[in-house]
Amino acid sequence: MNRTAVGDNIRALALALIALFLLTSVGVGRRMLLSPELANDPQDPRVAAVVFDRARGPVLARDGTVLAQGRPRQYAEPSLAQVVGYASAAYGAAGIELAYGAALVGQDSTDPLAVLRVRFLGARAPPGSVTLGIDPATQRAAAAALAGRTGAVVALDPRTGQILASVSLPAPDTRALADPARAATAWAAMATGADSRPLLDRAAQGLYAPGSIFKIVTAVAALEAGVLDPTAKVRVDDPFQADPSWGAYAVRSSSAAHGDFDLSLAMARSENIYFAKAALATGGARLAETAARLGIGRAPALDLPASRGQLSRSGTLDRPTLVADTGFGQGELLVSPLQMALVAAAVANGGVQMDPHHAIAVRDGGGNALAAPDGGPGRRVMSADVARILTRALVDAVEAPGAFAAGARVGGLRVAGKTGTAENPSGAAHGWFVGFAPADAPTVAVAVVLEHAPRGGEDAAPIGAAVLRAAVGRAR
Amino acid sequence: MSRRAVELRLLGWPVALAATGGLAVALADAGAPDLSTVAIPLAVAGTGLALHLALRLSGSRADAVLLPLALALVAIGLVLVRRLAPGLLPLQLAWLAVGAAAFAAALVVPRDLGALARYPYTWALAGLALLLSPLLPVIGREVYGTRIWVRLGIGSFQPSEAAKLALVIFFAAYLAEHRELIARAPRRIGPLPVPPLAYLAPILVMWAVAMLVLVAERDLGATLLVFGGFLALLWLATGELAYVAAGLALLAAGGAAAVALFPHVAARVEIWQRPFADDLRFGASYQLVQGLFALAGGGLFGAGLGGGMPERIPVVWSDFVFDAFAEEAGFAGVLALLAVFLLLAHRGLAIALRAPTAFLQLLAGGLAASLALQTLVIVGGNAALVPLTGITLPFVAYGGSSLVANFVLLALLLRVSDESARARVR
Repeated sequence: MNRTAVGDNIRALALALIALFLLTSVGVGRRMLLSPELANDPQDPRVAAVVFDRARGPVLARDGTVLAQGRPRQYAEPSLAQVVGYASAAYGAAGIELAYGAALVGQDSTDPLAVLRVRFLGARAPPGSVTLGIDPATQRAAAAALAGRTGAVVALDPRTGQILASVSLPAPDTRALADPARAATAWAAMATGADSRPLLDRAAQGLYAPGSIFKIVTAVAALEAGVLDPTAKVRVDDPFQADPSWGAYAVRSSSAAHGDFDLSLAMARSENIYFAKAALATGGARLAETAARLGIGRAPALDLPASRGQLSRSGTLDRPTLVADTGFGQGELLVSPLQMALVAAAVANGGVQMDPHHAIAVRDGGGNALAAPDGGPGRRVMSADVARILTRALVDAVEAPGAFAAGARVGGLRVAGKTGTAENPSGAAHGWFVGFAPADAPTVAVAVVLEHAPRGGEDAAPIGAAVLRAAVGRAR
Repeated sequence: MSRRAVELRLLGWPVALAATGGLAVALADAGAPDLSTVAIPLAVAGTGLALHLALRLSGSRADAVLLPLALALVAIGLVLVRRLAPGLLPLQLAWLAVGAAAFAAALVVPRDLGALARYPYTWALAGLALLLSPLLPVIGREVYGTRIWVRLGIGSFQPSEAAKLALVIFFAAYLAEHRELIARAPRRIGPLPVPPLAYLAPILVMWAVAMLVLVAERDLGATLLVFGGFLALLWLATGELAYVAAGLALLAAGGAAAVALFPHVAARVEIWQRPFADDLRFGASYQLVQGLFALAGGGLFGAGLGGGMPERIPVVWSDFVFDAFAEEAGFAGVLALLAVFLLLAHRGLAIALRAPTAFLQLLAGGLAASLALQTLVIVGGNAALVPLTGITLPFVAYGGSSLVANFVLLALLLRVSDESARARVR
């Protein structure tokens, strides 16, 4: 037996073990010290404990009005319940309280030394603040106009993407949630209100068939494709079948029409057959491409959760009847009010679509800006010419004699807009209005949806008008 | 000063660790000292004194540092059991007594340590039987998806811990006898020496057993431990890194095949690779994710005993005790803990270096290497550096089988150390 040879091997093994222990120490050290994404994960109960134990800074409206402050939390504006959200140790967090939670409790800081103190020594930084683009006067007007209904209103500045007002009814009672004595019953009411779903932010997350307001998208697609002359007369005879293979299926006119329509008249009377023909002329592929460009089927880059919706169940328009149905806003379409407000905003902004956002300033405890969210560089989603043509047609849709959207008229203000009445499988049709104002230099775009509205779009248009009236002329 | 006198002095440190740790945990938990505040340091002191006396009575001249190092780990372990699962503390204290008794027994049986090498295949059979016993229908039990428990009358135990010892004894005996033949292979394929088939067989058998354990018992820990310990010993005996490389290649190939063929093995790898994936983090990888949160919550100096939230990790007291320690003791504490394990392994290798016969060299080296490997595998698993396994952190984690087996391991190391001290005197 040769002992010394084994001895050499033992020394080598010792060195190998030292190396393995060093590697393991480095690996563990990286997990412990250099993984900020681990230390900030919302699933981490430590993060939750820190978030709910600490002093929270205020949430402010664009003019400095306090929307939420203090601990326990005081919420000033019940109509912003889903947007501002809540922060509760027992029930978690939602809305701005969740999305900007780190800044509100002072976990984010511009000072790198403060960040290190928080990380390594557990020091507590003073709480920060978040300022939203919400305009209190517009918000109150929207809340008052929608009061008592089930639905949503969202208004935004088409030039910047800043959201000026957002109401979703019914709303959860977040004031009760912040009160330890009432929280449990309030939560039970919200969580079990299965039909009314108050926690859902219908403005950004609600999904509805768009109905006739989608004709704006169809018009964009047809105009961009060069298959639609806005001034040419198109013959409409109710009912319409493109060819006999449609069998028992036909597109029905909104007004049992037999006559000639140009784009403005078709918008004013919301003529289904006109837009079904435009969609068929454009073709399913180009219509799908335009809808995707305008944001249908894609979640808006909002700083709160937003639904993506769908153009169709398959994502494509591969049957002529589906193309025709989609052309006037039925088919298999699902959209959120925010998505349709963004379509209107793109027309209003000369064809350039900005990203929507609630927060316009995020500050740390020292008042230093942590972030200044903006609407991004903007995407050109249609040519300026197409936007101009559509603006004119949408003004006619409100102002022309016998226009369906006449309810959106505002004295002394040129409003562009479109109503919609969306058939849906869950009951009476939903009422829609999208629009913007002033038509020649728009500063606000709006979308309104009313669930199961008795008169459809006619009910929604005055709500849109009230919001536009309140928002236009506010110095921004 | 004699080695035993040094040992007695050093034993004060683990007792101090147990006293301060026990007090801190009780204050954080109950706001006042309780029975455990006295019981933990008393248990460490009592065990230390008893084992010290056992060594004195057997006339041992063995290493003075091993016992204090191991008891420091035991002290940390008891404090953590009090912190994470106070209801289990009495049971763990009872296991500590059993472990101490096993230690004392292993100091005197067998009378001649070299006798262990006389019946290598008996050890091999015993080791394999223990390793595969959880597969038996009546006594084998499946817990948390792995089949590594055996239930016998009074209670359950994990036979892989005892199998580890039996197999290290077998490897050491077998390799001490045949290592020249295996090392000086007559033929080579490229860099790889090819020993005669008869001597190659044990390597292939071990590999097959490791794979069987992986697939049938879903026990990745025992697989890595048994096969890794075997490769370490093969390297010690032959000095052929090519064997280690070939063994690792076999393990990797077998592992890859198991991943492809068996969903439960693939799931383990998946959890390790992307624990934070949305479809895993609330399900299969929930425990690991909570462990990683605990690590990240530790920072440099930790939350302090009782200051963290390690109790959010499911089964933290046995599977994730390292992450719990890391959260509350910080990275500084982790380095200290790993240093204790490394010192323990190094003391074991130093003993191996001076051992009088090749068998004792390989035995001590194998025991030290398996202790170090076990530590690395579970620490790495807790930190998602390697796939997670169900093996325990030696001396620290809650669990009787592991504690008893590791006390026997400690006694064997001390006996090899004693043998070399005596050989030098003669």
